[in-house]
Amino acid sequence: MNLAAVRANRTKLLVLTALVLLCAAGYLLVEVNLHNPKLFAYAMKLRTPKLIVMLLTAFAIGGASIVFQSIINNTIVTPCLLGMNSLYTLIHTAVVFFLGSGSAIVLNANLAFGVDVVLMGLTATVIYSWIFQKTRHNVLYVLLVGTVLTSFFGSIQTTLTRVMDPNEYDTLLTTLVASFSNINSEIILFAVVLLAAVTFALRRELALLDVLTLGKAQAINLGVDYDKCIRRLLLGVTLYIAVATALVGPISFLGLIIANLSRQLLKTYRHSQLILGSALFGMLVLVGGQLLVEHVYSYAIPVSVFITVGGGLYFLYLLLTRKKV
Amino acid sequence: MRSTPVLALILLVLSVGSLFVGVIRLSPGELLAGNLSLWEIFLVSRLPRLLALLCTGIGMSVAGLIMQQLCSNKFVSPTTGATISSAQFGILLALLFLPESTLWGRALFAFAAAIVGTWIFVWFIQRIQFKDVVMVPLVGIMFGNVIGGITSYLAYQYEMTQALSSWLVGHFSLVLKGRYEIVWLTVPLVVLAFLFANYFNIVGLGKDFSKNLGVPYNLVLFLGLTIAAMITASIVVVVGSISYIGLIVPNVVAMYKGDKIRGTLADTALFGAIFVLVCDMIGRVVIYPYELPIELIVGILGSLIFIALLFYRLKHGRKAIRLGSASHSGCAAPVRAVEGGGER
Amino acid sequence: MRIQELTKQYDGKTVVDAVSFSIPKGKVISLIGPNGAGKSTVMGMISRLIAHDSGLVDFEGKDIGKWKGRELSKRLAILTQSNHIQMKLTVRELVTFGRFPYSGNRVTPEDQAIIDRAIAYLELKEFQDRFLDELSGGQRQRALIAMVIAQDTEYVLLDEPTNNLDIYHATNMMKIVRRLCDELGKTVILVLHEINYAAFYSDYICAFKDGKIAKFGTVEEVITKENLSEIYQVDFEILNIAGKPLSIYY
Repeated sequence: MNLAAVRANRTKLLVLTALVLLCAAGYLLVEVNLHNPKLFAYAMKLRTPKLIVMLLTAFAIGGASIVFQSIINNTIVTPCLLGMNSLYTLIHTAVVFFLGSGSAIVLNANLAFGVDVVLMGLTATVIYSWIFQKTRHNVLYVLLVGTVLTSFFGSIQTTLTRVMDPNEYDTLLTTLVASFSNINSEIILFAVVLLAAVTFALRRELALLDVLTLGKAQAINLGVDYDKCIRRLLLGVTLYIAVATALVGPISFLGLIIANLSRQLLKTYRHSQLILGSALFGMLVLVGGQLLVEHVYSYAIPVSVFITVGGGLYFLYLLLTRKKV
Repeated sequence: MRSTPVLALILLVLSVGSLFVGVIRLSPGELLAGNLSLWEIFLVSRLPRLLALLCTGIGMSVAGLIMQQLCSNKFVSPTTGATISSAQFGILLALLFLPESTLWGRALFAFAAAIVGTWIFVWFIQRIQFKDVVMVPLVGIMFGNVIGGITSYLAYQYEMTQALSSWLVGHFSLVLKGRYEIVWLTVPLVVLAFLFANYFNIVGLGKDFSKNLGVPYNLVLFLGLTIAAMITASIVVVVGSISYIGLIVPNVVAMYKGDKIRGTLADTALFGAIFVLVCDMIGRVVIYPYELPIELIVGILGSLIFIALLFYRLKHGRKAIRLGSASHSGCAAPVRAVEGGGER
Repeated sequence: MRIQELTKQYDGKTVVDAVSFSIPKGKVISLIGPNGAGKSTVMGMISRLIAHDSGLVDFEGKDIGKWKGRELSKRLAILTQSNHIQMKLTVRELVTFGRFPYSGNRVTPEDQAIIDRAIAYLELKEFQDRFLDELSGGQRQRALIAMVIAQDTEYVLLDEPTNNLDIYHATNMMKIVRRLCDELGKTVILVLHEINYAAFYSDYICAFKDGKIAKFGTVEEVITKENLSEIYQVDFEILNIAGKPLSIYY
C-alpha cells in the first residue's frame, strides 16, 4: 500500500475515533445535572458501565466480523450465521422452562453469564473443530452446518415457548432482547479477560490474515499452515461472538454493517486497519443508537431493533450493488 | 428399479396405522360394528389429521423439488428461500390489520406475502453470480432472517409473540374438521406441478437453453415459483412452518433416481408423505398421552439427515448430491471444484 | 527434487499411479498429456498443495510434507491456475506479499529493493500502483509472476500459465519462463496444454497418460510422431523449425 493511502486511512480512523469520543461524551453528559455533584456521580455510576459494555461489544463483534469475512473470503457473510444467537436464546429458554424464572441462574447475573459463556464456548469448540475436520477443512460447509444448527436450536426453543406458562414467557422475553443495562463490573472484567486471552492465543494467526485473503493456494505457497490457521481463527471468532452475545444478548447484522462500512471507508487489505475501523464503526452505531433511543425515542424501541432492521436493509443494498458474491 | 410402488405400499400401511394411533383407542373392528361416537372421532379428528399430514408431506417436498429444479441448486427450498418466513410475515400482517379475519383471510395474506417474498429472493439470486453454490442458501437464510427480524419486531411491539409462535412451530394437534381444509389446495397445485414438470426441468437448465427449446423462461419460472410459494403458504397457515422436508426429501430421492423431474416427482411426493407420517407418529408416541409438535421431530431428524447428507456428499465427491449443471445462466453459479473430488 | 512411486486416489479411483522421476536442476521441465492424465495432480503433490497417498517427494533430502511451511516457501513457489484474489490490491502490494516468507508483515528496505527489481524485471513499473482488477489477463499474470520472483525461490512451479491468454501474451509468458531459467538460474516446472510451447521453450518434457508417465526425456526424445500419436490418440506430423521439433495434429 502506498504511503499516501496509508496516511489517508490514518486520518479517516482518527476522525472516526473523534466521533466515537464525541458520542461517548454525549452519552455520559446529555441531560445530566452538572451542578449537583451527588446527582452527577449517580448518573456516572449508571452510565459508565453501560458505555463500557457497548464499547466492548462493538470491539468484539467488529473484530470477529472482519476476521470471519476474511476466513470465508466473502464480505457478505456475518458471524451470526454461526448459530450463537439461537444457542443463547435456547439456553435462556431452557433455563426458565426447566428451572423456572425464580432459579438462581436467572436471578444471578454472574452465574447466568458464566453458564452462557461455558455452554456456548464448549458447543462452539466441539462442534466447529469437529465439523471443520469432517468437512475436510471446507469453511462454507461449516457455515451451512451452522445454519442447520441455528434452525435446530430454534425449533427446540420455539417448542419450549409454546408450552410455557405465559407469565414466565413474559419474563423470558425481556432477557432475549439485547440490552446493555444491568451488567455489573465483575462481568465486564471477566469478559475483558476472556477476549484478551483469546486474542493472545491467536496473535500468530492474526498476523497472517493479510496473506490468507490471497486465497488458499497462494497462502500455502507463502508458507502458511492454512487449515490449522483457519481452524484456530474460526474458533476464535466463535468465542468472541459467544462472549459478546453472553454479555448483551443476540444482536444480528451488527457485524455485517460495521465490517462492510469499514471496508468501504478504508479500501485496504490491511487487517489491522480494517479491524480498528470496524470496531470504531460498531462503537459509533451502538453508542449513537443508544443515545437516540434514550433521549429521542425515550426507550420506546430497543437499539437492537434498529440494528436488525437497518442491517437487514443494508444487507439487501449490498446484494443489489454486488455482481459477485 | 421400481421404487414407486414400494413407496406407495409403505405409505398405505403407514396411513392406515396413523388412523388408529391416538389417545382414544380406535380399532377397525369397533368402527365396522357401527359405534357412532367412535365414527365421529374418526371423521372429525383422525381422518382430517391424516389428510393434512399427507398434504403437508407431499406439498412441502414437491415445493422444495420445484424450487431446486428452477434454481438448479440443491440447497434451495422453502426454508432456505425465504418462502416460509414471508408466509409468516403475511400471517402477522393479517393478525395486525384484520384481527377478526377468518382462516381464509389469513391464508390470502400468507399467499401474497409468500409469493412476493419468493419472487424477490429469486430475483436477487439471479442478478448475482455466486462463487460457490453454498452461498445461495446462505443468502436465502440471511434474507429470511431479515424478514423474520421484522416479523418478530412487529410481534414484539404489538405483544403478539406468543400468538404468532403457533405459526412458527408446525403441529397437527389442532387439525380438526372445518379448520384445515385450506391445506387441500396443495392437491390441485401438485397436479399442476406434475403437468408442468418438464417445463421446470428445461427452465432449470438455463435461460439460453430454454429459449433454444422455445420455452418462455420468465413465465415458467414465475409460474413455478408461484406454485411452490402457494403450496408452502397453504401449509403454513394450517399447520405452521415445517422446515427441512423441502430440502431433504428431493435430495434423498435424487440420490437414487437422478434429476429428471418427471421420474422423481412421484417418488419425492410419496417419500415426503412417508417422512411426515413417521415424524408425526414419533411425536405422538414419545410422551404418550401428550404429543410433541411435529416441527420438533422434523427439526431434529431433519438436521441430522441434512448434516449426514452433506458429509456423504463430501466423502463421495459430487456423485451424491449433484449441485446444478455446470454451465448455464440459471440462478446457480458454475460449480467450483471443492476440496478433494474436483481438485484435479 | 526426486519423485518416487507417487500415488493419489480419489474416491477409490487411481488418478496418479506410482509415478517416479527426477527433476534436473536449472532447467525448464514441462508436464504434458491429455485431460485427466494426472499432470496437474502431480504438480499439486510436488508443490504440497495436495497431499500424496503414498510414495515420496524428496525435496533436498527431505519429504515435502516434512518441511516447515515457511522454510519451503523460501525454496519453492507455486502459481496455480485459479487466482481469484478478492481484495483490492495494487500490483506492488501483491508483489510485496512475495517477501512474506522472509519478513512477515514488516517489509525491510532490502525487501523493497527486491520488490523493485521483480517489478522492473517484468516491466510492470508503470502499472505498479494500479489495482489488479483494472489490469488485463496478461498483465495480471505477469504481476503474479513478479510476486513469485520476489519470493526468490530456486524452484518455480507454474500450473498452465498460458491458460486464458491470447497468442501474444501466452508467447510472452513462455519467453519470461525461459528467462527465469536462463538469466536467474531457476528450475521451472510447468503444466502445459500447448505441445508446441512445451517443445519450443523447455529442456525436458514429461508426458503423462492415464496417471502414469508415458515418456520422460529431452524435447527431442519425447516429441516424436510415434510418441505423440500414442499419447494423444490422434495423428501427428513433426516439423523442424528453428532447430525445435514442432508438431501438427489433425
